[in-house]
Amino acid sequence: MIKVQNLSKSFQNIQAVNDISFTIKKGEIFGFLGPNGAGKSTTLNMMSTILKSDEGTIHIDGKNSSENASACKHLIGVVPQEISLYEDLSAYENLLFWGNLYGIPSKTLKERIHTTLKLIGLLDRKKDLIKNYSGGMKRRINIAAALLHRPKVLFMDEPTVGIDPQSRNHIFEVIETLNQQGMTIVYTTHYMEEVERLCDRIAIIDSGKIIAQGTQSELKELVQTKESIQFEFNFLSESNVDQLRKLFSYELTHNKNKLLVECTVKELSKVITTCNDLQLSIKDIQLNKVNLEAIFLSLTGKQLRD
Amino acid sequence: MLFTVLKKDLILFFSDKKGVLITFLLPIIMITLFAFAFGGVAKKKSAPKPLAVLVVDKDATTTSQELIAKLDAMPTIRLIASEEENALSLVRKGKNVAALIFEKGFSDAVKADKDLPIELKYDAARDLQMRIVHTVLKEGFKYHLGKVDVINTIKLKTTSLIKETSTKAHPGLVQAVGGTAIMMLLFSIAAIGGGLLDEKEAGTLKRLLIAPVKPLDILLAKMGTAMVVSILQLTTMFVFAWLAFGLPIFMDLLSLLLLILCISFAVSSFGVFLVSTVKTRQQLQGMSTIIIILMSAIGGSMIPISMMPEFMQNIAVISVNYWGIEGFFDIFWRQLPLITILPKMGVLLAIGLGMILISTALFKKNIIAIE
Repeated sequence: MIKVQNLSKSFQNIQAVNDISFTIKKGEIFGFLGPNGAGKSTTLNMMSTILKSDEGTIHIDGKNSSENASACKHLIGVVPQEISLYEDLSAYENLLFWGNLYGIPSKTLKERIHTTLKLIGLLDRKKDLIKNYSGGMKRRINIAAALLHRPKVLFMDEPTVGIDPQSRNHIFEVIETLNQQGMTIVYTTHYMEEVERLCDRIAIIDSGKIIAQGTQSELKELVQTKESIQFEFNFLSESNVDQLRKLFSYELTHNKNKLLVECTVKELSKVITTCNDLQLSIKDIQLNKVNLEAIFLSLTGKQLRD
Repeated sequence: MLFTVLKKDLILFFSDKKGVLITFLLPIIMITLFAFAFGGVAKKKSAPKPLAVLVVDKDATTTSQELIAKLDAMPTIRLIASEEENALSLVRKGKNVAALIFEKGFSDAVKADKDLPIELKYDAARDLQMRIVHTVLKEGFKYHLGKVDVINTIKLKTTSLIKETSTKAHPGLVQAVGGTAIMMLLFSIAAIGGGLLDEKEAGTLKRLLIAPVKPLDILLAKMGTAMVVSILQLTTMFVFAWLAFGLPIFMDLLSLLLLILCISFAVSSFGVFLVSTVKTRQQLQGMSTIIIILMSAIGGSMIPISMMPEFMQNIAVISVNYWGIEGFFDIFWRQLPLITILPKMGVLLAIGLGMILISTALFKKNIIAIE
């Protein structure tokens, strides 16, 4: 659906995007994960046709975005990071305005506004002025405005910034519904939890470069750190540890009553059963998952929110 | 504590360079302009530039020619020979303050010591200049005809070429309504143009650019909004002037409507031009205040053009105010036909087009540049 090749962009002396390439398949949710200033929004702006690249090409559904910007604009929907709505107009009036810009026939547009407002759960508030909406509701209308022309690809630039968990979940549900309907979604964020929940594939971007990309499991394979579970027992003797070593093929690290087992969550029940068989009383269990935060830290030496 | 707060306020005040500029530079510029306008800064040794008066010598005798030469030698006025028809036309159009007509028989009247067949036909819209010309000429006649010691022997007949009638507006009213209307319109339009910067800050401009909308359409749409508001604002002001002060707006309605359209076009283009030159609302506020006040001062919105020295009158032509106010004088005072006012409307349209062209280039650079 989207093919980006050797894309670069600099502003004065700052290299915002540096020779990045990636492909996004039709119907997938592709996540751009990186800290603030990593180059996510600049990449999205170039893909949205409003920013010219210095080098490289972007193809959307086979069309070169710089040579065929007008056609590409109809293929994409963009949810900007800012609440790009007119505060003194109602939600309905806003959607009518943004929809009209795409030349949608009046009757069709009204039907789509109805459907979209229903999707985002704000049909009953359509006549309210945007300025009277909560932050989360504004964000949902911000998404709705990008959906009216039925784009094939939806670019979402940090669509959950500054909203409460309930609204965030609502937005996730909307994204999942849209994706189930076949929409390709490009999602930028610096919240790894969002990427972990939503995205099929992820590109980790830092200082204008893609430092890794793939599925979550592919990314996990890139780092040395492995998933582990830490058990704390009421009592753990050296002989208990020796017995466990014989029974498990996992790496075990022993420290007083604590035991670190390098296994996955799926294997947790097996470990617990064995411990019960040995009559070891478990006091506490702690999961040490390899998440995107850990991957980012491992690849860049920085925290995502640095 | 008081000192700490005071110090903080002063630091904040002086850190706002635009604010400082408006506080100090703008009054200096205004003082300079008004000083020039009211003649308070003429060089000590140089006399003020003489007022140009047209002269029509229908007598064409040695006596009339010698007198014209002597009057022309006076420092305050400069006589320019002209044909009667041309002279009267120029005065009617506001190009010259007055035309001095020497009728046939002037020489004989001088010899016979009779009332002189001379007449000063003038533009009453330039009342102040006319008074100077009248006084100077009357004294000149008395002096050069050897009648200095005789009181009231010289009768210089004066006739306003444009009569104040019930269908005509007083020039003061035209000046007040026209001048103020255009100045206030400029402020309104700058504010409307500023909406583009609000859209940029709110992110809606970015969304507009993402949609299949051409940047030029965004600019022209904003200008269109400004133009509609301009037309409504000017129309409202003239209707008010009609109701409150009896300004005869129906005297030449077609010319008035066309002029309102042209002024609205020029002012709206000026509004988008102003917005295109800046990047933030704060910059716009500083810039528009300075430029609009300056333009209004030199363009005749604050001081009638006729009161300004010649060099300032020459500068005035760069402002929208000048062409608009002159257009209103043509309609309400000089009662010129539409064909005669068309060139002024043409200038307003040309100013508008020029502004749009510049704005288009600047708009791309300053407003829609995405980073």
